[in-house]
Amino acid sequence: MIDPEARYLRTHEWAKEEGKGIFAVGLSSYALEQLGDIVYLELSEKGDTVEQGGTFGVVESVKAASDLYAPLGGEIVEVNHAVSDNPDMLKEDPYEEGWLVKIKASNPSEFEDLMDAKEYKQFLETEAE
Amino acid sequence: MYDCHLECGGRLVDFAGWHMPVQYQKGILQEHLETRRSAGLFDVSHMGRFEIAGRRALEFLRWVLTNDAAALPVGRAHYTLLADETGGAIDDAYLYRFSPEQWLLVVNAANTYKDWEYLRRKAEELGRGVQLKNVSEELAMIALQGPRSESLLLGMIEGGQLPEPKRNSLGAVRIAGCEVLIGRTGYTGEPVCFELFVPAKAAESVWRRLTAAGACPVGLGARDTLRLEASLPLYGHEYGRDVTGREIPILACPAAKVGVNLKDPERRFIGREALEEQSCTLKKGICAFRVFGKGVVRAGAAVFQGLREIGRVTSGTVVPYWVPRAVSCPHHCGHGAGWEAHFSGQTAQRAIGLAMLEGPLGAGALIEIDLRGRRVEAEVVKRNLDNSCGPITFAVV
Repeated sequence: MIDPEARYLRTHEWAKEEGKGIFAVGLSSYALEQLGDIVYLELSEKGDTVEQGGTFGVVESVKAASDLYAPLGGEIVEVNHAVSDNPDMLKEDPYEEGWLVKIKASNPSEFEDLMDAKEYKQFLETEAE
Repeated sequence: MYDCHLECGGRLVDFAGWHMPVQYQKGILQEHLETRRSAGLFDVSHMGRFEIAGRRALEFLRWVLTNDAAALPVGRAHYTLLADETGGAIDDAYLYRFSPEQWLLVVNAANTYKDWEYLRRKAEELGRGVQLKNVSEELAMIALQGPRSESLLLGMIEGGQLPEPKRNSLGAVRIAGCEVLIGRTGYTGEPVCFELFVPAKAAESVWRRLTAAGACPVGLGARDTLRLEASLPLYGHEYGRDVTGREIPILACPAAKVGVNLKDPERRFIGREALEEQSCTLKKGICAFRVFGKGVVRAGAAVFQGLREIGRVTSGTVVPYWVPRAVSCPHHCGHGAGWEAHFSGQTAQRAIGLAMLEGPLGAGALIEIDLRGRRVEAEVVKRNLDNSCGPITFAVV
């Protein structure tokens, strides 16, 4: 499942514009499926700054830890503690309830650098080969 | 058995030249829990299986393996290792004696080729009289582990008898019209445990019978969490070379003690001198630990006491467990109620692992482990799983 509204990184993080330069960020359902059971989620704190492509947290599956990369640079203005307390939520609704952080972008045009839903879909098809 | 794995929703990866499932439909956590409460089914055909026979077979085994094959009666299996001269592990293994004149050695998948070449070379050194046969392809291996395993098997046996209810005992039965060799062995810590050796052509039908009877297919992911919860070593982590590239002494691993037999002073085996020295002088060891608070520590993480680094994590993961129902019997053995009553249905998770530590430290010692630059508190424990009171196990939390 791919959210048509979101834009994507090759590392499977998505971003969605919420207005006023603020973007919600999460993980695509493809990434969640690949990770398997998620047992722990560590997210940056409110007020932290992150660059585009920088890490804003770690997601732990049973097998391994994977870094989470920011689709846009800026300040983290909100953190979804409901998800970090209960990572099972992620799979149920990866593009709405399952957002991870909200970033106030220092340069909102970075959003245009990301793959749109159609490009991400093609990217996943080539990945699968 | 490729089709079987796909039918069960297996997510397959390449592992030591085999297509093996990391997990099935239910996922690692659920597969782990099902094994502890019910019965887990594992295709472990990727492991190496060698038959050893010939007039000098026993002499050969007593020379290349650390445990004493002469102490292994027919109808029994034991844990053993292939040591090198410096007391490190070439591999760890299980030796089965189904018949008087023939032994079956099961080795790690990733080491099958290395072990095979090594053993062939050693057999040549000894001269004639040892026949080695690699039966990994023709003989499939299926593990069935957990409290319900025995009743599942009893429901499908067409002849023969299960091995007597004692760990490491062996037997032979008929399932799906086929002769199946069975050992009460396994790699999960479950007191009720079986490993089945099945002719490859019958493996799929045996597998399907077991899944149809309710056994839960379990992949390599949960195989690792189950063994780690039971503090069982894995070559490449607790044996072989450590993260810094140094050889790990075999006897640093407490589990190795049952696989090294120094009793017969006349028996010269490869690595004996080094192992004798280790048994007197070793000042470090593999310890089980549990992590307090949140975070999962992984292999390679540094372990501290205060400012001093005292070792490294060799294996670390998170495991799920059944929250035990409060019971009055101090042994949790379910007097009167039947063991099923002890599964409350509530589950939780905890981070645990094994670490090579100086000392070695005793149970109760507090340690700190590096987790991405911060430190998490942990405690050395005697064990993370209580399996002393069958047929079910309890998480020690």
